[in-house]
Amino acid sequence: MDKQIYILGRDSVPEVITLDSPRDLGMILVALPGTSLRQRLEIDIQSPGCEVELRGVFLCTGQEQLGFDILVRHSSGGSTSRQLFKGIAGGSSHTEFNGLIYVAHDAQKTKAWQENHTLLVTPEAVASAKPQLEIYADDVECSHGATTGFLDEMEQFYMRSRGVPEAEARKLQMISFLSPVLSDLPEGLRDELINSL
Amino acid sequence: MDETLKDLTTQSYAQGFVTDVEQEFVPKGLNEEIIRTISRIKDEPQWLLDFRLDAFRKWQKMTQPDWGHLKLPPIDYQDIIYYAAPKKDKDRPKEIDPALMETFEKLGIPVGEREYLAGVKDRREVAVDAVFDSVSVSTTFRKTLSEKGIIFCSFSEAVHEHPDLVRKYLASVVPAGDNFFAALNSAVFSDGSFCYVPKGVECPMDLSSYFRINASGTGQFERTLIIADEGSRLSYMEGCTAPMRDENQLHAAVVEIIVEKDADVKYSTVQNWYPGDAQGRGGILNLVTKRGICRGSGAHLSWTQVETGSAITWKYPSTILKGDNSSSEFYSVALTNNWQQADTGTKMIHLGRNTRSRIISKGISAGHSENSYRGLVRIAPGADGARNYSQCDSLLIGSNCGAHTFPVIRNANPAATVEHEATTSRISEDKLFYCGQRGIPEEDAVGLIVNGYAQEVLQRLPMEFAIEARKLLQVSLEGSIG
Repeated sequence: MDKQIYILGRDSVPEVITLDSPRDLGMILVALPGTSLRQRLEIDIQSPGCEVELRGVFLCTGQEQLGFDILVRHSSGGSTSRQLFKGIAGGSSHTEFNGLIYVAHDAQKTKAWQENHTLLVTPEAVASAKPQLEIYADDVECSHGATTGFLDEMEQFYMRSRGVPEAEARKLQMISFLSPVLSDLPEGLRDELINSL
Repeated sequence: MDETLKDLTTQSYAQGFVTDVEQEFVPKGLNEEIIRTISRIKDEPQWLLDFRLDAFRKWQKMTQPDWGHLKLPPIDYQDIIYYAAPKKDKDRPKEIDPALMETFEKLGIPVGEREYLAGVKDRREVAVDAVFDSVSVSTTFRKTLSEKGIIFCSFSEAVHEHPDLVRKYLASVVPAGDNFFAALNSAVFSDGSFCYVPKGVECPMDLSSYFRINASGTGQFERTLIIADEGSRLSYMEGCTAPMRDENQLHAAVVEIIVEKDADVKYSTVQNWYPGDAQGRGGILNLVTKRGICRGSGAHLSWTQVETGSAITWKYPSTILKGDNSSSEFYSVALTNNWQQADTGTKMIHLGRNTRSRIISKGISAGHSENSYRGLVRIAPGADGARNYSQCDSLLIGSNCGAHTFPVIRNANPAATVEHEATTSRISEDKLFYCGQRGIPEEDAVGLIVNGYAQEVLQRLPMEFAIEARKLLQVSLEGSIG
């Protein structure tokens, strides 16, 4: 699936996307450090046979206020949507992920997944998540998962005991955390993100 | 078809009868005079009246919350009788009216300690505080409990006999102006249960409150206050039923639980208020505020709830984890059928270090019902090492119902971990086929599968409750297939 990459604050992201015929939609939203905004995105699936793959990666290192309001609306059944948002909140940033999967009445055979994982790396940072499901059809498979956590000390210990300096170990952990989304980005952009870790 | 459905629903709510007993009421409506009257009937001290009036003034300035995923019918607060009590026979004030006794017997609530006295111990002893409309009619095993220093009595008695304790802890967890319904309750609350377990005492039996709405046109506003002092242990159960009526009746309760250092409280609820009929007429509006605080280090509070009744449920048993290393759990099964609506969940507020919480919520929706999980997990900056795990599953039966999940996670601590996951699915054809092939009728198969799905929560309930809950799940699902 071709994936369109949007850098928030640089590229304009459509606020509403309507899929009224069977098609694939792949999007990656990237928030580089220093991006403060609220990104709204609604994907309205009105046809069976659609595949939606939505990913997001964000990195906050200063005083960013970053929010995502993502609504995936399954107005018609027989389509699939997958969402994966991964981000790191550092500095004194506030991040918020507000995602809703809506499955309309009779939108049977819908499959929808949503995942959101945030790492908190400084004491001043705050991460909020509102992963929501609103479901009015019974023959569906829907799930969401959200976590917020910190860099695992055991992993750090493992690396440091093998001579990897602490700062380097932390960076490796963050890269591996973001990699499910990073791996789909073009090299230049990926390096830009990795270098700002 | 309609006829059979009606039969089924009327059959299935066995607790829907009315007890014919003479009752006294205060006039309809809500104003300062009514509050003063309630306070006067209960012969309350001035400070409690002041508390009520203060709450009432706060309530007058508040508006009814509308953020729930609920279609709440308009409630006319002036059209409710705020106090109804069975008339007491002055000659023998110590005894319970036989009609009431019979009511509770019929409901399976041992209000008379009969089994105990007769030496029949086929089930574990449970001390009961039975509340009928606005008054507590009986509290059993008080003597046995008081030998251990445990205070278990009606709220009104506690106000007279242990005013210091009540005054110290009342509204310390749910302030009078906490929310619209809590403020209303604080202004007009009638009776409820009070429990105090002293330092280091393990309560020898389960304690329970049983709430019964009987009178028509009334609301029930009970208040429960539970205090578990340092190192004590307590298991508390709560049950409730109401007659079948075409009108909605309001139930706005407040439960406050204070858990001190190293104490352990387990609070279980089987909520079986009248859910309304198959067309969605009548039923209880269950708008409840329940909150506990783990004040000291190592305190533990566990909520278990089985919600099968009520036309509308708006209820979020919450825990404030203030003490370091304190922990809390929330286990919930919420089943909605016909036109029932439930918006229920929990709040876990992590303030202390290394605090832990676990949320397991199982929603089941059938018929035209709406079932939502709504929850908050908040990790404060000081809650180093805090840990939360939440799992919310929804099961849909039929394509006319809704199942929703609205969790909020706020983490402000880089040394805390929060995990949340939710799934929505239906009873698969494969499972039904498997049961059908083995000769299990479809309705029984659904009951079986639902019980299995809710097992993780049901096994947390005390024995008697678990059996009742299993039966309830089965009965509440009647008529949901086909």
